[in-house]
Amino acid sequence: MAAVATQLQTALRSQLFPLPSHAWLLSIVTNRDPPPPLASLMATARARILASDLTTPGLLDAAYTAAHTLPAHVINNIAMVEHRLAHDVVVQVADIENLSRSRWEQVEELETIERKEQRRGREIIRLPPAGAEGGDGDGVDAGSVAITQNLSSAPGSGGGGGSGGVKATHKLILQDCKGQNVFAVELKRVEGIAAGKTSMGEKILLREGTVIARGAVLLDPENCHLMGGKIDAWHNEWDDTRLARLKEAAASEVRH
Amino acid sequence: MSRILCVAEKPSIAKAVAGHLSGGTYQTHNTRETFIKNYVFDYDFGPPWGACSVTMTSVIGHLTGLDVGPELKNWSYPPPERLFDCPVMVNVPNDKKNIAKNIEEQARRASALFIWTDCDREGEHIGGEIRDAAKRGNHRIEVRRARFSNIERVHILNAARNLVNLDERQIEAVNARIELDLRIGYAFTRFLTLNLRNVGPELNDLMISYGSCQFPTLGFVVDRYFRVKNFVPETFWAIKVMYKREKIDVNFHWARHRLFDRHAAVVLYERCIASRHAKVTKTEEKPTKKWKPLPLTTVELQKMATKFLHLTGQEALAVAEKLYNNGFISYPRTETDRFDKAINLQALVQKQIPSEQWGQFAQGLVNGAFRAPRQGRNDDKAHPPIHPITFASPAVLGQNERKVYEFVVRRFLACCSEDAKGVATDVEIAYGDEVFTAHGVIVLERNYLDVYKYENWTGTAILPKFTVGERFEPTEALLVDGKTTPPGYLTEADLIALMDANGIGTDATMAEHIEKIQERQYARAVERGNRGGNEDAPAAPAARGGGRGRGGRGQAGRGGRGGTAGRGGGENRGSGIREFIPTALGVALIQGFDRMSFDMSLGKPFLRKEMELKMKAICEGRADKERVLRQSLLEYRQVYNQSSAELHILKNACRQYVLGHGEAAGGAG
Repeated sequence: MAAVATQLQTALRSQLFPLPSHAWLLSIVTNRDPPPPLASLMATARARILASDLTTPGLLDAAYTAAHTLPAHVINNIAMVEHRLAHDVVVQVADIENLSRSRWEQVEELETIERKEQRRGREIIRLPPAGAEGGDGDGVDAGSVAITQNLSSAPGSGGGGGSGGVKATHKLILQDCKGQNVFAVELKRVEGIAAGKTSMGEKILLREGTVIARGAVLLDPENCHLMGGKIDAWHNEWDDTRLARLKEAAASEVRH
Repeated sequence: MSRILCVAEKPSIAKAVAGHLSGGTYQTHNTRETFIKNYVFDYDFGPPWGACSVTMTSVIGHLTGLDVGPELKNWSYPPPERLFDCPVMVNVPNDKKNIAKNIEEQARRASALFIWTDCDREGEHIGGEIRDAAKRGNHRIEVRRARFSNIERVHILNAARNLVNLDERQIEAVNARIELDLRIGYAFTRFLTLNLRNVGPELNDLMISYGSCQFPTLGFVVDRYFRVKNFVPETFWAIKVMYKREKIDVNFHWARHRLFDRHAAVVLYERCIASRHAKVTKTEEKPTKKWKPLPLTTVELQKMATKFLHLTGQEALAVAEKLYNNGFISYPRTETDRFDKAINLQALVQKQIPSEQWGQFAQGLVNGAFRAPRQGRNDDKAHPPIHPITFASPAVLGQNERKVYEFVVRRFLACCSEDAKGVATDVEIAYGDEVFTAHGVIVLERNYLDVYKYENWTGTAILPKFTVGERFEPTEALLVDGKTTPPGYLTEADLIALMDANGIGTDATMAEHIEKIQERQYARAVERGNRGGNEDAPAAPAARGGGRGRGGRGQAGRGGRGGTAGRGGGENRGSGIREFIPTALGVALIQGFDRMSFDMSLGKPFLRKEMELKMKAICEGRADKERVLRQSLLEYRQVYNQSSAELHILKNACRQYVLGHGEAAGGAG
């Protein structure tokens, strides 16, 4: 068993992927009898890591963790003009915000969806209500499809384009495996990052050489390796409170 | 010689058609109705009719009305929901009795009836009413219909020789619409009036009327009102780069446009400054165009009239009708924005040469500058786009007629000329990690803009020469901030566009509904600019609007170029643009229904839109009237029952907004 775990760890070590601890791998392997083929064990291990909170004690290899965390002196250090990461750092997404559209514009859009409506140019479209209009179950599906489409492509909303618009600039909060949070901004557009599309808990590998300026990680497609993944509890919480947070943020600005 | 009875929709059309068919000589007989004359003359309609003795007369709009019986005239009993299924009957109102009688009498002596009502759904229905009246006098009378879209002589003579049958489907569709409007209107008006009466003294003697188009129209006004009222301004930051070359201040715009986060903006700005030099990454010089407008539809005419002619949509349509009745322009109720190839446009252009104002331009087109108009995507298959038929000298037109006629002609001539042409220069630079662009246009040929004074295209100065790869140090690089501003209240043009996009009313009735919600005191129109200070002024160069006006690009077809309507941007300030603001009562009614727990609020456009689609289905033979009626009445009855069950919500909204109890009292009113 231990041999299989070691084999897995060796294989994973050669990949751009957070390295699990031997003990954790062993727990995966021992639960299976007879052990499945290595390839499927590998897939299981990867999927579990991607769905896990990287700060969970014992999850990652201690040496890997030590070598892949953010240097403490750059975090929130707005005095530091520029710092380049000397090694890869693995992080998970804790928040994302579209900076190209006003919060209020996003609030209005989310509220429209909440009313089961959608705007297409000037036209107001009624999203199929759950269970109504003869279609029974179909109505629900069509509705949720329309909602997700709206979130990811946000048609017809001018300004900086939709959440996933080509020109949008996003700001993220990233957390390393020690639980240190850092801001990140898209210096160049990174395909796959978008509010409503990026999942909370999604794993990102910041490659060696990534710039941190005034406390913010500058993302570009060259240094930002998206690995996917999602922590369901985080994401649901984020999704449920998004509208309220946007409202709060828009309103709080007025106060000062 | 057989006798033929011809009946038009209005006296002016009867007279004009009689004039054309008779060659100008006809006998005029009075009828019992002062405005209605019978014109008698001979005319050869060709086979199978041959030479006939003709009597040409008219009605004045609809000949009949639909109403409930006297037992339902009492508001207190039976309850309003009876109106969903009580018997209804068609009758001839007293003021139309003499007109109907005239047709009945004339029909007795005629072997055929030719109907000359306007070629649209209502016109077809009026044709049906005329037929019914004629059949009462002579049940064997043959019935035909003339198809025409303007009263120019050749067109009319052509119509007289190519008669068709009445379209029963269109008649049925209008019958369905009339019955639905009657039942639903009565039921909800009584429901609202009776139930809200005792909410407070302000509502005691008020008649609160409901119309299935008015409410969604009001809904749009209320929706925008709250968007303005609830708006939360936010600060944004942008980087502005300027470089002076050859004495020209070249302004570069940030590709990110603006960011709503100071920290992020500062970080990016600092990296620009640190890099000191900008590098030219792309330069492009290419021909550009500002597209000439599409052929004119009713909705577009109304929108433009509210923007540029200081007329309401309804006034504009009324004036256009008058111009049509006088033969100056084609039928003004049309959805078509493409000209049929068969129309000789050049001949129509030629007729405008006598004008002192645009004659020279027309002459230019005739001399070779003529270009085929753009083809829009809409064709109602009944009428061409609105265009001038003959030249009308300003002397024969009233003030408003002159304005509308001028607009129709200029629009038409613009359609028949060339797009405006220019050269656009684009320069892109990389400054730090950031991308900036500069855009310059010079207008080379104004073309259609010379005649179409409602649009303009001001070229910015051409940009100085930049070469790819060259580096320069920007003269100025600033981090600026600004604040978002609320949208404006709805203008009439916005409202018409919203109604159009959401299927509320037909192009011919939209203006009426807008008028109605004001008459009923659900909304009022106020001059723009009567609201607070300069907070509207764009605070920073990056204030609003994504695209950097590359001329009037926009896909062919309606809706495509609507982008500017949303927010007058300042160009319209003080030009008499009116905006709609709901009254406290208007807010209460819409909020009352919106807050109820079912999705089919009467303040939303969905129910009405479905109804409109069903009318269309009847016209196209995909649905029959009885089923549509049953279905629609069932839907509205459900809404009625749900509204009754949640009446307290509506009452509370009235208390809140109209009586000023509870929360802030709506502010409007």
